[in-house]
Amino acid sequence: MSSQSPMIKTRKPGERIFCFLLVLGSVYLFWQAYNISGFSSLSSPGAFPLAASAAMILASCVTFLNTLKVPAAKDVRFVYHCFPPVIATIMALILIYSVVLESLGFILTSFAFLFISIQFLYRRSPLITLAITLFALIVVYIIFRLVFQVVLPEGIVPEREILSSIKSLWR
Amino acid sequence: MDAFNYFAMSWLSPELLGLTALGTFLGIYVGAIPGLSVTMAVSILISFTFSWDVNYALCLMVGVYMGGVYGGSRTAILLNIPGAPSAIATALDGYPLAKKGLAGEAIGLSTIMSVVGGFVGIIVLAIAAPTVSEFAITFQPRDYMMLGVLGIMLVGSLSGSSLARGIFAGALGLLIGTVGLDPMTAEERFTFGVVELWDGINPVAVMIGMFGISEALHQLHHMNKAVVKQKISRIIPKWSDIKKYMPLSLQTSFIGVIVGALPGTGGDIAALMAYDHAKRVTKNPKVPFGEGAKEGLIAPESANNAAVGGAYIPMLTLGIPGDAVTAVFIGALFIHGLNPGPLLLIEQPHMFWFTVGNLTLANIFVLIFGLTGIRLFSKIVECPKGILIPLIFLLSIVGAYAINNAITDIWWMLAFGVFGYFMRLYGFPVGPVILGVILSSLTDENWRRAILSERGSVGDLFINLFHSPLSTVLFSVIVLILFTQSPIWTKWLKRKLFR
Amino acid sequence: MKKTTIALLAALSLSSSLTFADYPTKDIQGIIQWGAGGSTDTVMRSIAPHVEKELGGDIILTNKTGGVGAIATKYVNAKAADGYTLLMGAENPQMYKILGLSDIDYSDMIAINVLARGTPIIVANNDAPFNTMQELIEYTKAHPGEVKFGSTGPGGLTSIVTAMLDSQVKLDYTSIPYNGDGPALTALQGGAIDVMPAVLGATIEQIKAGRMKAISIVDVEANKLLPNLAPITDALPGMKSYLPWGPFFGVFVKKGTPDEAVEKLQAAFQKAAFNKDFVDLMQKRGFTIMNISGEEADYFLEAYRSTSSWLVHDAGFSKFSPEEFGIRKP
Repeated sequence: MSSQSPMIKTRKPGERIFCFLLVLGSVYLFWQAYNISGFSSLSSPGAFPLAASAAMILASCVTFLNTLKVPAAKDVRFVYHCFPPVIATIMALILIYSVVLESLGFILTSFAFLFISIQFLYRRSPLITLAITLFALIVVYIIFRLVFQVVLPEGIVPEREILSSIKSLWR
Repeated sequence: MDAFNYFAMSWLSPELLGLTALGTFLGIYVGAIPGLSVTMAVSILISFTFSWDVNYALCLMVGVYMGGVYGGSRTAILLNIPGAPSAIATALDGYPLAKKGLAGEAIGLSTIMSVVGGFVGIIVLAIAAPTVSEFAITFQPRDYMMLGVLGIMLVGSLSGSSLARGIFAGALGLLIGTVGLDPMTAEERFTFGVVELWDGINPVAVMIGMFGISEALHQLHHMNKAVVKQKISRIIPKWSDIKKYMPLSLQTSFIGVIVGALPGTGGDIAALMAYDHAKRVTKNPKVPFGEGAKEGLIAPESANNAAVGGAYIPMLTLGIPGDAVTAVFIGALFIHGLNPGPLLLIEQPHMFWFTVGNLTLANIFVLIFGLTGIRLFSKIVECPKGILIPLIFLLSIVGAYAINNAITDIWWMLAFGVFGYFMRLYGFPVGPVILGVILSSLTDENWRRAILSERGSVGDLFINLFHSPLSTVLFSVIVLILFTQSPIWTKWLKRKLFR
Repeated sequence: MKKTTIALLAALSLSSSLTFADYPTKDIQGIIQWGAGGSTDTVMRSIAPHVEKELGGDIILTNKTGGVGAIATKYVNAKAADGYTLLMGAENPQMYKILGLSDIDYSDMIAINVLARGTPIIVANNDAPFNTMQELIEYTKAHPGEVKFGSTGPGGLTSIVTAMLDSQVKLDYTSIPYNGDGPALTALQGGAIDVMPAVLGATIEQIKAGRMKAISIVDVEANKLLPNLAPITDALPGMKSYLPWGPFFGVFVKKGTPDEAVEKLQAAFQKAAFNKDFVDLMQKRGFTIMNISGEEADYFLEAYRSTSSWLVHDAGFSKFSPEEFGIRKP
């Protein structure tokens, strides 16, 4: 993987907590797996999930114990090196985008998302951003909606009516 | 002589030739866009070509299939978003190459080796289809299970520096793969009472999240870093390179044909197994695997294209689909009034050589279209990040939605994207997660079938294993890899010795 | 200019939602319950072009899989009842209630057309030591637990046919579940399972090619496609009470869809299902064309639901009793 340091000699801020959360998560999943069919038989639906979650617990414990031994990296701050504001902002934007996607429809939300995020990251004149946004949106719409007939969420835009009125103009 | 006429049919008719070319061209782009799958494209073409002559329809669809399998590598190399699960292994070494400014060379090499793989698949289909298909259907549940185990052992080679983290990621993937209504008993597993989870979490959603979203989030760290200038002087790889990698390409192509011909496995598993094979047989790669080893690019690309010919083997001879796409082809043949099944070749003898000729033609078009436009594509990597990253997000979200027209898939994709971001941040490899998701149901279901067949006795399962030569061979391979070559073992040994 | 366009579009969308006299005014979305390449998918994709011709509008077909079709059913019922979203499905929803999969089945929707019905057949691996139903029963009794039956999960065709068998004769066999009849029939040819009930259409080509053998047709009389195969009622006359029974394909819309739209759809599907190409395809695959709608369809659907629900309930793998939903005993 690209971001992987060759040998983990130091730990990043938050790494210990992350690994600990993984241990907790694994234990929870093991409990869930146990609830499927208990330890009833090797061919039960729960057998494989139990084995997988057991492996997760083991591996995450080993990882967590290792982080206890490793010293913290110097001059690395969580909010700067691990989770800078720009990433938090973009994550928030994507979250809002996907929440409102279904109710407002693909065209409006994607337009807003692209415009805001390109403006935020690229920082050029809004006109350039607008041009890029429109171009990208039209290409995506043509490929997905018109060619591959993926009916994207329509929301408040009466897309099918618009399309059929355009089609009737054609005829 | 008849055979030759049928073979040449699609070459000589301008319409058929044109449709094959068009199909291949479209296929490359379908394959390259994550979320748009070849299965989906071929389904749409069924409705679209409904009133056409069957040969015309088939030419278009065969082109899309051949082009689509190849096309998945494009986005894998350029953006680290595999266009389809069969291109996951391609991203592992292809993307690092692009980051070094070698995107053009990587695409060129992957094109040549895809075409080599494609031809191997077609040749095996042409000369050994009946033998291979009879062999393929003798695979018993226990054999599929062992194939799954073989695949899972690959976690070792995808783990990078920390094996424990790799195992965690792999096991997590296996667990994700079990979510949903158990297909064997309809028992709910990890569904928490949510109907939307009954069908499980789509591997493609996991893949787009883990690779695409998490990588794009990571790129936000380096917003001010200048983009890598792509060297586009060399696109067609050196002849000496082709010669050097040819043996590996041929070996992995054969893995691809066989895995592709098995009714229970497809190009995705073939590519991963080929990657593992490459890693095991390449003793001293120039560049380590995972950092842009050409071997790691060639192996999966040869294998997944060879799997196309492989998937046709059981379809044409027995009417059994070799993968999801050939299943749709069977539906298409049926709609066009043919009877796909074991009698197809008796009732429609031209079908076989027509398909072989058409596949060959489509493969040639992959070569032509694959080697054009590389310069333009490489520019994508040079596109300012401020524009590229929002576009990747948009494409990922639309792609995730397109899988099954479900908002839920977007949620999963995003959740795995954010989780994948933190996994990468803290040194967890994300490759094994996808590996686990892909192999989960294969291993789980066949393990249980194998046990059920022996009425619950593990002992009987183990003893009966040695009654079948095939199972014995598979079992020996597993044991051999585990004890001699597996990175799991060697790494553990190394750690024991050097600590 | 822009304003007038918007106003025009708004008026257009308003008018189309108010009057259904000129239905359809926009693309219709057809939601297929099963994945690409499956038999439901194939049937729907082969009838859709004929329907489009009758309706004079496009139908966009979308596969929406999951939860044995429950996700597609739920999706269609969450959409507006305007006739622009069709559910194209198979028999599965009729078991949802008693299996606890969903609280919507076809009785909560309007049937546009029940297109065709399949006939179950029992097939066996070529090397299996029995050739007829009687021999199968005797062999299984003599070798308890040795015969491997393929199955496709609870509520599927195989589970209902085996439930019918169990109600007639107690057999001790090993059940090996598969993910659909395609993989199971492949496993049958490879010898991983010995016997399996399946739909005739999925097996006919293999039987003709001699790759598997037909044991018995699960019907009251022999089938045209396999005239020499004895019906199961020869060996088990008690089965008569359940038969004829078989999986079906149908098209449905949400309850509350305006009558004009329903009538137009019914008329279009009915004409399309008479199309010679479609009829030929279905017969070649061993499906019996039904092409029924309205009361006739409701009666058929109800009969299917009551037979299957009680069979499954009596076999002991239902979550709820059919009585809770007012499903009468056959």
